[in-house]
Amino acid sequence: MSVPKALQMPIGLKVTTVGFVTCWCVIAAFPIFWIAVMSFKEPLDSFASNPLSVIFGPSTRESGKGLSVFDIIIGLSIIYFIYRFAIYHLPKWVRKYSPFNLIVIGWLLGAIFVALVVVLVFGVLFPPILAFVNGLTGFLGTPIIGFTTEHYLAVWAENEFYRNFINSIIVTLGVVTISLSIGTLAGYGLARSGFDIAFWILIGALIFRALPHSVLVSGYLPVFVNSAEYLRPILGEQAPTFYGQPLAVIMVLVAINQPFTIWMLRSFFQNIPKELDESARVDGCTHFQAFRWIIMPIMWPGVITTGLFSFLLAYNDFLVTSLLLDAQNQTMVPAIAGYFNRETTTTDQVEAVAAAVSITAPLFLLVMVFQRQIVSGLTAGAVKG
Amino acid sequence: MKKFCTAVVAALLLPGSLWAACAFDNQVEIKSLSAGFQAWKSVTDAMAECGNFQAELDQEFRDKQVEAFAANPSLYHIGGVSNSTLVPLVNNNLVRPLDDLVAQHGGQLSENQLIRQNGQVVAIAMMVNAQHLMYRQDILDDLGIAEPANYEEVLAAAAKIDDAGVVDYPLGATWKTGFNIALDFVNLFLGEGQSLINDDLSPSINNETGMYVLETMGRLKEYMDPEILVSDSTYVQQQFQQGKIAMANLWASRAAAMDDEAESQVVGLVTMASAPMGSARPASTLWWDGTVIASNITDEEAEAAFRLIMEGMDTEMVQANNDDAIWIIDGFAPGKSAEGAFATAANGAAPYPASTEFGIIFNALGNGLAAYITGEKDAATTLADIENEYLVGAKEAGLIQ
Amino acid sequence: MKFRVFAAFAGPSLLLMLIFIAIPLVNVFLQSFHNTQSIFETVEIETCTPGFGTQTCITESETRPVLGEDGKALEKTIFVGWESYRNILRPDQAWEAIKQLNWSGLMAIDFWKALRFTLTFTLISLPLVIGLGLVIAVAVNSLAKSIRGQVIFVSLLPFIITPVIGALSIRWLFIGDGILTAMLEWWLQMDIAMFAQAWTIELMMLFYRVWHVAPFAFVVFYAGLQTVNNDTLESAIIDGASRFERLRYVVIPHLMPLIIFVSLIHLMDSYRVFEEIVGFSSQAHVISLQWLTYDFLVPDESGNRSISRASASSMLTMIGIVIILIPLLRKTWKDHRARVL
Repeated sequence: MSVPKALQMPIGLKVTTVGFVTCWCVIAAFPIFWIAVMSFKEPLDSFASNPLSVIFGPSTRESGKGLSVFDIIIGLSIIYFIYRFAIYHLPKWVRKYSPFNLIVIGWLLGAIFVALVVVLVFGVLFPPILAFVNGLTGFLGTPIIGFTTEHYLAVWAENEFYRNFINSIIVTLGVVTISLSIGTLAGYGLARSGFDIAFWILIGALIFRALPHSVLVSGYLPVFVNSAEYLRPILGEQAPTFYGQPLAVIMVLVAINQPFTIWMLRSFFQNIPKELDESARVDGCTHFQAFRWIIMPIMWPGVITTGLFSFLLAYNDFLVTSLLLDAQNQTMVPAIAGYFNRETTTTDQVEAVAAAVSITAPLFLLVMVFQRQIVSGLTAGAVKG
Repeated sequence: MKKFCTAVVAALLLPGSLWAACAFDNQVEIKSLSAGFQAWKSVTDAMAECGNFQAELDQEFRDKQVEAFAANPSLYHIGGVSNSTLVPLVNNNLVRPLDDLVAQHGGQLSENQLIRQNGQVVAIAMMVNAQHLMYRQDILDDLGIAEPANYEEVLAAAAKIDDAGVVDYPLGATWKTGFNIALDFVNLFLGEGQSLINDDLSPSINNETGMYVLETMGRLKEYMDPEILVSDSTYVQQQFQQGKIAMANLWASRAAAMDDEAESQVVGLVTMASAPMGSARPASTLWWDGTVIASNITDEEAEAAFRLIMEGMDTEMVQANNDDAIWIIDGFAPGKSAEGAFATAANGAAPYPASTEFGIIFNALGNGLAAYITGEKDAATTLADIENEYLVGAKEAGLIQ
Repeated sequence: MKFRVFAAFAGPSLLLMLIFIAIPLVNVFLQSFHNTQSIFETVEIETCTPGFGTQTCITESETRPVLGEDGKALEKTIFVGWESYRNILRPDQAWEAIKQLNWSGLMAIDFWKALRFTLTFTLISLPLVIGLGLVIAVAVNSLAKSIRGQVIFVSLLPFIITPVIGALSIRWLFIGDGILTAMLEWWLQMDIAMFAQAWTIELMMLFYRVWHVAPFAFVVFYAGLQTVNNDTLESAIIDGASRFERLRYVVIPHLMPLIIFVSLIHLMDSYRVFEEIVGFSSQAHVISLQWLTYDFLVPDESGNRSISRASASSMLTMIGIVIILIPLLRKTWKDHRARVL
């Protein structure tokens, strides 16, 4: 499609636009890029005040850990190919191979697949091959940038960060699933009912969303801790203690996230023409059947977008998880805060930075894969007033 | 890669060899909740060798310790406490008297480790800690300054160092808003031999001593980093390690970091000395850390928990982790890093006066002192506002009418 | 739709909100008028604490809660009316300061200090977020299709990153001789301490918040731009509307519902600003309303919590947010009426 002439931009404006977007991208990515760089250096380099020594890591290089020109070229090109794959080919594959109503699972498998490829290539395949090749290539093979993965090894292997990772996954998946299941039902109900009470429910939800979380959360603590005692008269000796249970935390996070979820989904459903499900009702369907057979097949763009917001909330939560989970079920964010609060040496701090980067990586992948769905879901009306 | 593989193999092999390190095979499920610093990690690791033990190391453990111990049955069996965090547990009757267990299994304990209230053992201490003066020996020698013994001498030395311009800031301090700055105020105040709260629980800081302490802090500030109100122990430790400061009062448990070759650029140059003297005693307080056992658990669990504690606090553990803390357990070999703390104690520093009312004034100090340091309020207003805040808090808690 | 069907659809969601939000909220409301205290007595206690080598034993009188027969500390709950609110608002002192136009006197009271910051933070960041989001959206929308994907991806990063980590990563860039501070110092040839005074800290917090939230505004607006009606645009061109006029009279009205949506979310989120205070440890200079509540709630060194003041302060926070939201709520109400009728 060619752009009408009047809509084309004068060259000056074009340059300004490109310059502005470039600036913004640098600002957006820089802090994240920077902690990633820090995490690969020895403590002396990481916290150096000269930016060049943080980037090139002289003391890391001196201790014999570094990347050569060759390593960098190969690494960057592989990252590029994986990125291309995730952006262009993965969506097609997912659409092609996953059965229609399981498309979400297809996407998840796709994301896990990409993550596995990255870990395999950079963690297992690369080091021995490159060590061999670097030995052969002379100048191109000598390290120029200090680089060490020891902090990651320390975090994941020694400090068993993978446990926190698994807990995070459990909590996040639980929140997303439950939140979307009950949220779509409620959103649909609210969108299709003309009751005034529906409006007041929405306003109530809006005010609930505005509540400071710290107030709610500290109210839960005594109840959760003593729940076994409270419930014993009803449930007998099987009465559970909610404190430390991932399921209890999932419920809390779902509740906290409900207001936003039902608002998003309600406006999404409002943009699906009423006539669609009304015609189904005329044909003798109940409301639930109409929802199941008419609405469900077309609601995925909105649901995926809303689901991503739920995912972010659950994955990034600190207040609820840090107070209500015990050490065995702790998720990643409070675990990292624990690193920072501890009486720390500088080495511990760099390990904490490595943990912080590890926690960001899955989000990175997620956005890479779902980026188009976010925009198309929003476009399809999830945010129209 | 190779390193990683050996680490994995070692991790797989270790449990077998570790279990052998424990004197008994623990059969009862035991959990502990404590702070997360290195000494606790060493102790709980040693406990874990006996099996069936889970440790929760959390710097914010205070937020939930009382609630978790008040549940029936208690959610944790062992609690890590210090002078101040013991108070709410004892007040709510949540810790178990340990006399019987000490008699039965505690042969290795010295009298110094037993924390008694009215003769009853309520907790077992493992380490002590205090803030004391650390200074750069090389700088003070170059400028011909003797070891400062009180804050007037510290200020004089700081002025000389400042004139010489050898470091960024002559002084460092743990003045981060909240716990850190409140403790420094309390240290200086107690150093004058005065008490912050009267016998009738009314506050007594808006007086000559309070003014003197604030004035001293104001004069010290002139030689400090302008970002002093965000500077906690780790920050001061790093400033020392990077050669940016010449003197600071810092925790004894941080002393060993000065000589850590991997991080410090001032290895061997930092001397540990007593905290500066106030007019009555050193401007520092003595702290201890130790363990308690919950009261809402069965006797069988309590016994297992106590035996685990004994295993975690044995000579073997101390010898393996000698520099993590100033242990008060048999087998500790005090090194250079403990000298300052011992000198402070020898000069007569008082234990930190933990109590319900002290917690309230401590909190008010932590929030209120910054206004004076930033220059928002003058000394008298600052102190009056803190006293006011204390009165509101104490009234709400039911301490005063 | 019958009411029973509606209830079946919305039921599970409402039940969860009722249990986990509404009931605690009512509880908080009640607690703000009550005060639960222990009953204290003074007892002589001999305490032995460890020292460096020798034990110290002191006998002194201590205040202890009285224990009941079940071994738990006795507590009594009394109705205190507005006292907790008074303790937070300090109406007399505040009124005195206002009468004398004594700004620093008013700011000496924590609540008003927190309110001042929370309001300025919310109101300054709002136009910045909306403006920046809009500008990025328009700029990205005019880029070639082939690179939009990458730009959107990079733009979304600040939004998805865990807030605790985002705040820390910005903090590292500035604290002490962090690289950006070092760069500024080199550029301006002067000694800069970003964490030493209130205004620089507030600037950093604003920077962080805008950095973190603008991408959300951007992606919503960008999605909205995809649905701008091309015919309207073209007729505007035929009418001779300049580029700016088209933006002003066609695009922005089209995006208005989205701008309101983003404002709503942003007002709510930034009014309860909290992570920034902790992440930048700004308590010495600026505090926010939620931080104040949190500070009352967290037990102090000796385990005391100020539950009733915390409840009162959160009720006040809530009232504030409702006041701020009223204009937007009125609009939603009108829309709702229009749709129903």
